[in-house]
Amino acid sequence: MQTNPIPEDGICAEYQQKMLALRSAFEGGATGASTVAARAQAVDQLIQTLWTRAVAETPTLGQGIALVALGGYGRRELFPQSDVDLLYLLDARVNEAAVKLSIRRVSQALWDCGIRLSPQTRRRSEAEKFEADNVEYALALMDHRLLGGDAGVYEKFADSGLPKMLEKEHRAIAAGLVSLTRQRHGKYGHTLFHLEPSIKECPGGLRDVHVCTWMETLGEIAARAEKKEPTANVTAWAAGEREEFDAAVSFLFAVRCFLHFRHERDDNTLDWQAQDAAARAGLGIPRRDADAAYWMRMYFRHARVIQRRLEHMLETAPTKEPEGLLAAVGRAAFGRMRRRPETAPVGFRLENGRAVLNAAIAGADPAQNPEAVLSLFGAISRTGAKLERASEVRISQALPLLSAHVEEGPVLWRLLQEILVGSHAGRALRTMHAMGLLELLVPEFHGIDALVIRDAYHRYTVDEHTMVLIDTLHGLETGGSTTMGEWGGRFGEILRDVQHPELLYLAALMHDTGKGRSGGDHARESAAMAESVAARLELDAYESELLLGLIRNHLEMSAALRRDIFDVETVAAFAGKVQTPEALRMLTLFTYADIAAVHPDALTPWKAENLWRLFLATANYLDRSVDDERVGARVGRDLVRRVTVLMPGRKGDVETFLEGFPERYLRTRTPEDVQLHFEQSERFAEDAVQLDFKHSPDISEITLVTPDRAMLFADMAGVLAAWGMNIVTADAFSNAKNVVVDNFRFTDTFRTLELNVSEHAAFVASVHDVMAGKIPVEKLLAARRRGRRKAPLTEVETRIDFDDEASSHSTLLQIVAQDMPGLLRAVSQTIAAMGCNIEVALIDTEGETAIDVFYVTRAAMKLDVEQQTVLRDELLKAIAANAS
Amino acid sequence: MQKIEAVIQPSKLDAVKDALVEIGVQGMTITEARGHGRQKGHTEFYRGREYSVDLLPKVKLETVVSDEMKDRAVEAIIGVARTGTIGDGKIFVTRIDEAIRIRNDERGESAL
Repeated sequence: MQTNPIPEDGICAEYQQKMLALRSAFEGGATGASTVAARAQAVDQLIQTLWTRAVAETPTLGQGIALVALGGYGRRELFPQSDVDLLYLLDARVNEAAVKLSIRRVSQALWDCGIRLSPQTRRRSEAEKFEADNVEYALALMDHRLLGGDAGVYEKFADSGLPKMLEKEHRAIAAGLVSLTRQRHGKYGHTLFHLEPSIKECPGGLRDVHVCTWMETLGEIAARAEKKEPTANVTAWAAGEREEFDAAVSFLFAVRCFLHFRHERDDNTLDWQAQDAAARAGLGIPRRDADAAYWMRMYFRHARVIQRRLEHMLETAPTKEPEGLLAAVGRAAFGRMRRRPETAPVGFRLENGRAVLNAAIAGADPAQNPEAVLSLFGAISRTGAKLERASEVRISQALPLLSAHVEEGPVLWRLLQEILVGSHAGRALRTMHAMGLLELLVPEFHGIDALVIRDAYHRYTVDEHTMVLIDTLHGLETGGSTTMGEWGGRFGEILRDVQHPELLYLAALMHDTGKGRSGGDHARESAAMAESVAARLELDAYESELLLGLIRNHLEMSAALRRDIFDVETVAAFAGKVQTPEALRMLTLFTYADIAAVHPDALTPWKAENLWRLFLATANYLDRSVDDERVGARVGRDLVRRVTVLMPGRKGDVETFLEGFPERYLRTRTPEDVQLHFEQSERFAEDAVQLDFKHSPDISEITLVTPDRAMLFADMAGVLAAWGMNIVTADAFSNAKNVVVDNFRFTDTFRTLELNVSEHAAFVASVHDVMAGKIPVEKLLAARRRGRRKAPLTEVETRIDFDDEASSHSTLLQIVAQDMPGLLRAVSQTIAAMGCNIEVALIDTEGETAIDVFYVTRAAMKLDVEQQTVLRDELLKAIAANAS
Repeated sequence: MQKIEAVIQPSKLDAVKDALVEIGVQGMTITEARGHGRQKGHTEFYRGREYSVDLLPKVKLETVVSDEMKDRAVEAIIGVARTGTIGDGKIFVTRIDEAIRIRNDERGESAL
């Protein structure tokens, strides 16, 4: 008996020849699947030959030892540089010590042939044991295959021992698998978007494919164990999904083979040069010499398909895995929703964190009803619930019919808004996008599907970048991300001041759609696409302008940041682009999120601080320039035109009315509002006090159009205070002919108007009579209800500042104080009592802080230092008196 | 070999980078920084709150060049970064004892 048989060079050489032939075949166009199967077969033959020889020399080896392929090798998927997992399975009777050497010699021979063997020798009883801390081993066992040796031993293992173990432990294995998968994903930031992805380990890669198969198998075992049908609705495929999945797997197989041949080791990183090479070779795509960005787009599309399937399969796990913070918040929100008696949602329900479409009744299938489907996604956006798999399949199949039933216009906008402003909008939108539902509503989105911007900065495809941007904005709502610390809080405050958040989110959705079109300025292209969306949703002129302006200008703030932000020219130029505080707030938030969504490290605290400073400087600049920028021969012509077109034939009169108003007035009103004010100004002969009242449970609004007189603003503030109204924002503007437009937005402290509709008329009449001089406002104030003063949450110190430089002809007065009922009355009354005229007023509230900005004159001139000092003292006294 | 450390206005970064690359400087390190010299900060008011800027945003650019290259590199930086106003920044030059390329252990000027 030979002690050290050296395998004939022949079989090793034969194996190496086969490997070379394999490589040629692959490079000649053979599929990844056929390549890995061929390698498995070649290794099979090698192992079988070596074992046969070993048994010939040592016949005792022939009894009680089975050779079993495990893992990828067991699946007949042996990638060119992958390890070979081989199990020597020993029967109980075999004397392990006696066979150890022989087995080792076989393994050695395989190593000598250049195969990286991972051999294990185990007794059957050991092999069939489940170890809770080694789930990977159990998973590798699931892909077993007999190579040679004693078939009897193998059968006992495969037909009896292993199935028993799996039946007993399938729950633990599934739970362990889910946990391992989540951990692995965590190492890659839970995203499939990487500049140089590892196609084995990354989300959307080959490991995930294996996980899908394992979960399916475990699901079948579970069903058999519990004696029921496998949950067909869970593992079912929606239309076309199976083909997509298979195509994705096939693509990844080819890529992994490509990388193994290229790197000549088990390196699965799709690095930059490999991407270029793969694109040139036309790997997995129907053309050669492709652009690397195009090729990576295909990669990401495939990876996304796999990731989605994986998510579905992970949900079939019997145990709950720990979820992220957002999901926990969503569950809490969902819990709150259940407790609150709301009107029942139409066509769906929320159960256990899942959104479930109701069954079809009498031929009416909610899956075909756009309102039901979109409301369902609105609920997902609000609560973070996940879409139930069966519902997803139904909706996917109903897409063509949904497409036919979707009605454009305000209803669609309402439904879309709810999806956009919910804190889990990202989840809802990504699901809609993957299902093709988003493109159905916004076909413009199709051009940026998986679009790759190939450089060292853009981590995400354009569509994913859009989603991350939206997520970032929503993240600011809850006080900002932990990495940004105080900045998240500050920008979160700006977000709370935005009056039209739904437009901000719609702009976010559309802002890069222009990248799908080649040629120049994507901001302009995106705005053009958004314009057609705005038309389909029937947004009004003001909303459209805000939306399109934001998209058109979405790069302006980043551009300004690259200049000297402390230079007044930079600020002035930038202010000229945004023009209003609302647009500034939206663009600031947008820029914050846009930078953050390029790459996790892109938004440094340094950048956030500079962004904040530019925002501050521009906000102050805008407020300081209101008084000087007035409509006239050269200023504001386009704004004027927007109004005159509504009233053909009255152009001259309208222009006269508008002359002298600050531009700010025209920019912050819809043309229809301005038209109303004009018409009201024509009715002064009948009634000098023209009012327009709009009630709403959240914030009501009243506008006064009247000839200017002393105490006007103070009297309005007074009558509102007398009725218990808390003023949130207000402004006052006048034109060249001293026609005043005062607007107040307020909340109803005692809910007088909410609870009694009849009181609306009484309220308006009361305001009218006070402003017409029929009732002294002091009388009303004396009789008013006084609410219980709640202790303020934050102490706000009173600050009074004068600025003589801001305006050419008035003094700017800024008052910051604790917001209190009656504050505005006290302040404006004091100003009037000192003989000062309020040229412009801009009143705002931020939490508990009232911020009142006035441009004042006395005897048509700025206030001198002495007058300012006196006014300051009087104001301080009046504010203190009001507070007590 | 000389290390050039330049603290400049952020708005000048692109121009400085381009100018250095143009004269053949191969590598540099950029850091986002804050600082001040004689240029004082100021206070901005917003909504009644004071936000003071003592430390202004700056960019620090570091590069190591051969002795022969040093003067040209410094001139290149000054050429594009100078505006003549306070706040333009400063350049510091120190001698470097050793330079090593990690990838292949190249040493000295060829490692630059």
